[in-house]
Amino acid sequence: MKKFDYLKPRTIDEALSLLNQYGKRAKLVAGGTDVMVMIKQKRISPDVLISLSGITGLDQIQYDGALRIGPMVTHRQIEKSQVIRKEFSALADAVDVLGSIQIRNVATIAGNICNAAPSADTATPLLVLGAQVKIKGLKGERTVSIESFFKGPGETVLEEGELVTELIIPKPLPFTGSAYWKHQRRLALDLPILGVSVLLSLDRNRISCPDILCATSPISTVLHAMEQEGLVCKEVRIGLGVAAPTPMRAIKAEGLLRGKRISDELLQEVAETASNEAQPRDTIRAEAWYRREMIRVLVRRMAMRSIERVIRPEETVFPTRAW
Amino acid sequence: MEEFINIGKRIPKTDAEEKVTGRAVYIHDLKVPGMLFGKILYSPHAHAKILNIDTSRAERLLGVKAILTGYNIPSIKFGFYKDNVPLKAGKVRSCRDEVAAVAATDPDIAEEALDLIRVDYEILPSVFDPEEAMKEGAPLVHDEHVGGKEKRPTNVLNLPWRLIAGDVDEARRQSAYVAEDRFRVTWVTHCCMGTSGCLAQFDLKNNLTIYSITQIPSLAQRDFTEALSAMGLQGKKVRVIKTMIGGGFGSKLDTYAFEYIAILLAHKTHKPVKIVFSREEEFFATSPRQPAIIDIAQGCTRDGRLTFRDVRMILDNGAYTSWGATTPSVMMMPISSLYKVPNVRYVAKCVYTNNTYSQAMRGYGNPQATFAIDSQIDILAEMAGIDPLDFRLRNANTPGEITPQNFKIITCGLRECIDAVAQKLDWRQNRGRRDGRGVGMASLIHVGGGARVYKSDGCGTIIKIDDFGTVNVFTGATDMGQGADTVIAQIVAEELGVRTEDVVVIHTDTDVCPWDVGAHASRTTFVAGNSALGAAKKVKQLLLEVAGQTLGESPENLDIRDRTVFSKRDPEKKSPLGKVLRAAHYTTGGRMVMAEYFYDPANENLDREFKGNLSVTYSYGTHGVEVEVDKETGQVKILKYVAAHDVGKAINPMLLEGQVYGGVAMGIGYALTERLISQNGKVMNPNFLDYKMLTAKDVPNVDPIVIETNDPFGPFGAKGIGEPGLVPTAPAIANAIYDALGVRIKDLPITPEKVLAALKQKTKPQ
Repeated sequence: MKKFDYLKPRTIDEALSLLNQYGKRAKLVAGGTDVMVMIKQKRISPDVLISLSGITGLDQIQYDGALRIGPMVTHRQIEKSQVIRKEFSALADAVDVLGSIQIRNVATIAGNICNAAPSADTATPLLVLGAQVKIKGLKGERTVSIESFFKGPGETVLEEGELVTELIIPKPLPFTGSAYWKHQRRLALDLPILGVSVLLSLDRNRISCPDILCATSPISTVLHAMEQEGLVCKEVRIGLGVAAPTPMRAIKAEGLLRGKRISDELLQEVAETASNEAQPRDTIRAEAWYRREMIRVLVRRMAMRSIERVIRPEETVFPTRAW
Repeated sequence: MEEFINIGKRIPKTDAEEKVTGRAVYIHDLKVPGMLFGKILYSPHAHAKILNIDTSRAERLLGVKAILTGYNIPSIKFGFYKDNVPLKAGKVRSCRDEVAAVAATDPDIAEEALDLIRVDYEILPSVFDPEEAMKEGAPLVHDEHVGGKEKRPTNVLNLPWRLIAGDVDEARRQSAYVAEDRFRVTWVTHCCMGTSGCLAQFDLKNNLTIYSITQIPSLAQRDFTEALSAMGLQGKKVRVIKTMIGGGFGSKLDTYAFEYIAILLAHKTHKPVKIVFSREEEFFATSPRQPAIIDIAQGCTRDGRLTFRDVRMILDNGAYTSWGATTPSVMMMPISSLYKVPNVRYVAKCVYTNNTYSQAMRGYGNPQATFAIDSQIDILAEMAGIDPLDFRLRNANTPGEITPQNFKIITCGLRECIDAVAQKLDWRQNRGRRDGRGVGMASLIHVGGGARVYKSDGCGTIIKIDDFGTVNVFTGATDMGQGADTVIAQIVAEELGVRTEDVVVIHTDTDVCPWDVGAHASRTTFVAGNSALGAAKKVKQLLLEVAGQTLGESPENLDIRDRTVFSKRDPEKKSPLGKVLRAAHYTTGGRMVMAEYFYDPANENLDREFKGNLSVTYSYGTHGVEVEVDKETGQVKILKYVAAHDVGKAINPMLLEGQVYGGVAMGIGYALTERLISQNGKVMNPNFLDYKMLTAKDVPNVDPIVIETNDPFGPFGAKGIGEPGLVPTAPAIANAIYDALGVRIKDLPITPEKVLAALKQKTKPQ
């Protein structure tokens, strides 16, 4: 492996001035689970690694109406946060299945999004949760939405000399549930074939027969039975990973559902539309037809799981079932 | 029933503590003074002429001590067909072809030097599909290779595998039902936790010591001795020393280019040279299991008795030939002898392609063949309208049978295995629901009493006992993680009346240990175990003679139990073992208590018709599985897994279960997730991220059932169990998926994509 210098600044400002000093010769490193692999594979060859691990206070999760996540917060910290599990469930779903516990212990969420892989597990949950990314450079601070943060595979809006200082997730509307599904070939240490996040805000959290959600019947049957309840979708966001060069929102599909009564037919149409909006590719990891097919299936399942989380927030009805 | 102290006990592996605390010395840990690091440059092309190799820039790099290419080394030919050389000259035939090698003072420098070597290629047309490679006018992988009566250039190897018993054509005409299918299996690889490597070192007299992770120390010693001759070092000695081995699974049954390269670099530099593979190299530069195209037909009578089995197979050999090219000889075993089938025909061709060359892997062809056979048994049973459980019971092998390949079946617990699995799965209750849940089963036969692949199937053992009753066993066997050392220690301890911990097994050094043909064919417990038992019996006789003198008792009246020699007539007359031994050493005219024994089982080489009693005895087993399939995503979830094996006798149930768990995990990977993805001859997934070996979270609970048939020839009744654990896994799962959904997947791995596509095909309006 190529040799490099390892610098450990004590403050953000020091880190910024080092970044500025070394320019393209430097690479910022947080947990190192992506950066070190890239160096070993000779995909990057920085002369200097600038670590954020010496700066205190970057590993905090705060909830004061909005959720604030520091750039050194690890996936494991998020996994263990009760407030994230309850209020921002899609993000908890994502960190539960990322890599392995050993990786989650060191890999950071900010690193995950800065790496900007189309398959990044936390990207689509952040998309549907409406996250904002706070960026700092020598010239000053700016905040961008997570949607505009990703520019392409491995590319973000970060300019040379800038770093991410915080992720901010606004408090969801009342009666909101969200869910993420990583469609993968094995249960750990895998990348998603497809990642699907859905966030749904409903008009209420009570239905006359919540037990219907415990039925083992197919999803269509459950949805049919629920149709007369007249649940209305106040807000919806659908995020798709590995479905396009960057993590994407299925905007058209969302438009079909927003403000409408939830029905089996409508959700099928929404899933179908999301599938058509996506631009998945054939790769060695999966073929495009299968990814499209899975968007159809999984958008519906994640919508169902979101509904379930609004109506039966205290229990996961079938932990092994997809919704 | 005899009461055992060591046999049948759940004794942890003798090296377990060392391994789990990280103290065990693997090839990766080994350092010797002055050691250089070797690295290999591989071809980026599947088939190309080498026009020029320019090493001048690399030579100038500080720290580089030697650079070798195919143009400055002596001619060393290796491999089963002697069609491979350590470094290629003239042309490359696959993407893993070794083109140049560097020895440097530091691995990073060696790596950097590789980047500075410039090779000019002229790309040649290539062939990746064995069926295409057999066609007239296909690109020739080895231009000089000829075959057939007219000696014409061909990609088909001159290894005509052909087994015929009975009259298949007549039997087919007489059959009430005939099933005919094509199955396909692809490359999977061993995924040894320890990557490959070696360290080669010459002394001043040009004798070679090579630290190795081989499964075949004695045969490797011969290969390397031949290499030394080719290097002009006739008559020089070769010593093979094994470090701790991080898994074998058949991958170390051949010698490889990297070993010859290390030897050549060490000779050139007069320094020890170590080569250790990166994980990527382990994936693309070692040899996987053979892919095969299998055309199979089987027939049965109206009441479900098998009438014939007719199999044609094309195996993708890749660009060179390893011992793996002989896997058809093992495929013959299930084809001729799994269930009673009177008429058998098997014809197989191995074909050169520009793909990676394949080799031996756990099961040695058996998993490929059994996938086709036992998937089709379900198809045939359905045609005949018979429950596949009853169909299997009706055709199950029995003790005393002589199979069409002339295998003499001694003990056979197949019926018991099938029954046990059916019971555990509630077969009658759970079968045929077609609601996304299903059950399936499949069976296996494998050699369980050695396998006479070479002229000898032997193994030697030397036992000596020191002053304090510590028993040193020098065995030819190889412990590569399977626990051979522990099992041999248990066998010797039992015979000598001591404890397993009193026995130290030494297996690491060809200068010290006796000869053995290798750790293959699930033969170690049976062959090395019988060899150790034979030596222990001789040593025990000596001990009793010596003790007889001190105790004033005739040896036939003496026995040893719990480290004490005692008289069977007068239990008060006894002496601790250490005392007996010290008496032997410190007496005038004293003697050393030691013995050697060579055991070569009474099995037969296959004759010219590929018939003969290959193994002294055969192992059987049946696996059963319950699956749940997600009809919308095609994903298969294993709810229950039962693995019943006729093992003769469980010498160490804990290690035995380990073999079964490991086999099943490997088998489920083979069935559902694992494959080397090859595009234009290049491995596209040379890492654990994209090669989907199962993780601890994925492997289901496995219920191992041990059926003991106490084989009369096995050591304490034991038969081999190293390979069987993965043989019937894939067909059992495929059969369960069929039971769940009514779709039959005939090519591995059974990915969600294949299941979903088949489901869509099935529900499509006609």
